[in-house]
Amino acid sequence: MKDLIKRITEVFGPSGQESKVVELIKAELEGHVDEMYVDIMGNLIAHKKGPGKKIMFSAHMDEIGFMVTHIEKEGYLRFTNIGGHRPWTLKGLRVIFDNGVIGNIDCHSDTKPNELNYDKLFIDIGAKDKAEAESMVKIGDSCGFYNSTLANGQRMIGNSMDDRIGCVILIEAAQQVKSSPNDIYYVFSVQEEVGLRGAKTSAYRIHPDMGVALDVTPTGDTPEGAKLNVKLGDGTAIKVKDASVIAHPLVKNFMIDVAEKNNIKYQLEVLTAGGTDAGAIHLTKEGIPSGTISIPCRYVHSPSEMVDLNDVKACVELVKGMVAIDIAQILD
Amino acid sequence: MKLEKFLAQLTEAPGVSGYEGQMGDLVGQAFSPYVDEVRKDNLQNLIALKKGSGKNCPSIMLAAHMDEIGLMVLKIEEKGFLRVTSVGGVDERTLLSQEVTVHGKKPIIGIIGAKPPHLQQPDERTKSIKMHDLYVDCGFSEEKIKELVRVGDLITINREFTQLHKSKAAAKAMDDRAGVALILETLKELQYLKHSIDVYGVATVQEEVGTRGAFTSTYGIMPDIGIAIDVGHGHMPGILNKEDTMEMGEGSGIGLGPHVHPKIRKKLTELADELKIAYQIEPSPSPRGTDAYAMQITRSGVPTALISIPLRYMHTSVETLDLEDIKSAARLLANFIARIDHEFVEGLKCF
Repeated sequence: MKDLIKRITEVFGPSGQESKVVELIKAELEGHVDEMYVDIMGNLIAHKKGPGKKIMFSAHMDEIGFMVTHIEKEGYLRFTNIGGHRPWTLKGLRVIFDNGVIGNIDCHSDTKPNELNYDKLFIDIGAKDKAEAESMVKIGDSCGFYNSTLANGQRMIGNSMDDRIGCVILIEAAQQVKSSPNDIYYVFSVQEEVGLRGAKTSAYRIHPDMGVALDVTPTGDTPEGAKLNVKLGDGTAIKVKDASVIAHPLVKNFMIDVAEKNNIKYQLEVLTAGGTDAGAIHLTKEGIPSGTISIPCRYVHSPSEMVDLNDVKACVELVKGMVAIDIAQILD
Repeated sequence: MKLEKFLAQLTEAPGVSGYEGQMGDLVGQAFSPYVDEVRKDNLQNLIALKKGSGKNCPSIMLAAHMDEIGLMVLKIEEKGFLRVTSVGGVDERTLLSQEVTVHGKKPIIGIIGAKPPHLQQPDERTKSIKMHDLYVDCGFSEEKIKELVRVGDLITINREFTQLHKSKAAAKAMDDRAGVALILETLKELQYLKHSIDVYGVATVQEEVGTRGAFTSTYGIMPDIGIAIDVGHGHMPGILNKEDTMEMGEGSGIGLGPHVHPKIRKKLTELADELKIAYQIEPSPSPRGTDAYAMQITRSGVPTALISIPLRYMHTSVETLDLEDIKSAARLLANFIARIDHEFVEGLKCF
């Protein structure tokens, strides 16, 4: 699993540019599902056929990143955000473009930290002037964080854990689930970071009876951390609420029951902000009972997102436990 | 059931956004004598249908949300204090020293405590307390409370429905149980009127967290006309622009704004004038605050209007209104429904 996490988190894929992630996941799932297709938005949908009701799992493939808005005559790139960043944390970070061009983000050395915004930051790709820069990247090109993903015992650190770690959980589950009473759709969605866009269209097409998002959630266990219940290493987190969804009581209780019956370590999560694909899925058509399995993650939306492998394994077990039960019994 | 009794029952029961199951049962029981069908949808919207006398007749959907704002357990602290977050827009200044019910394995009484004036720093005395500094104290030890309460459990303020002078009343969750009561009153009025169109009375869920239930219930019903019923700001001391509020007791507001179809509004106001039913015009420029927003933009669009019951102290536990405003608006809506025909509905299709 460590190898898969390293490979998938190091692949390029800011929102709207997820095709390299699609290729990696398709290769992993080959032979484990009945059909796979990519829809109009670029969502990868892997279908494991079953006789019962439809359950849709969704983990997003896209990562936060940046987009070039302007090229200065000296060859520096001005940029805007794709998804949520804290601009004052970006100075000194490295980024990579789809074609492999690497740059680093910086600003004038006199800029005070509280003034650091996109209008003060630039990307230096080493071009000697505008013409050379334009031969390397174009306005509208996207880039993402450029880092190596590392393992420190059971803890892994890297960018794009949000939400490739959710993709890893679905891949592992799909590889292990040989049959189910349910009709399972594993959706690897696009453009979550810019507004749950891929989940919205994929849920409309699939029209599942139950929706489950898998995504990271911040923890409250760091020094002077927020008053949040979730701790890294304390197991899978079953979401009660965030800003995008209040988990359907039936789905939340289903997850708790499965975790307790299978001795899966879990914690309950209430998040005061944030959102996941479940926010889009549950409002599809006449409404779909939905919930979220959260992966505890420190430093979400930084280049060093940290997850615990035991938590990840607990999430895989929870997915497997859920699909083993006929969801018709839960929904009636 | 009489209006006062129904409203007392609804406002005293818990039904925070996302957990409206029991509330839906209460509403369904009250609606059922006056309608042909009652059902709940996937997100627990309570949908009642009173069939019209016409064949292939158009339909109208009356939507009022039955969820209320509330609190949720965020974290259980050492010594058993409960840290909380809000579900919907709770005014944190109003929480101090309230008695609450924590809906754990069983209902538990708690109070919301905070540092007394003697122990406050000088700068704390001039600031209102923030949600993240508040906590609920149920008196239990940490060990015991963890047996009874879990992260994610809901908390509601304890407040009895109180009748003030004459027809005025105060309670928690008048927003928008008063609207649900208005639907019930409308259904009662319709017993004595002939109407050709189908009438859906919908008690929606999760309005306070983003008009979510209205999106899905409207998608399922797809009515020809949608009327959202919610509360609007009543006038009170300290409001600088009187035009921003309505006067309690002078009739409900008929909304005016981008989410209100002008032909429906025109017919409502003309009918009110004709029947001498009191009403006020409520300018409503912000489109996202009520179920009307969700209804209007569902599928290929629904012609929508908004009825607002004047109410003081919104999003506190002493929301105050005049019951006469509910009754008069119900009479207006019932008569409006009785007069809708195919021709009027066709006319709405071309803005």
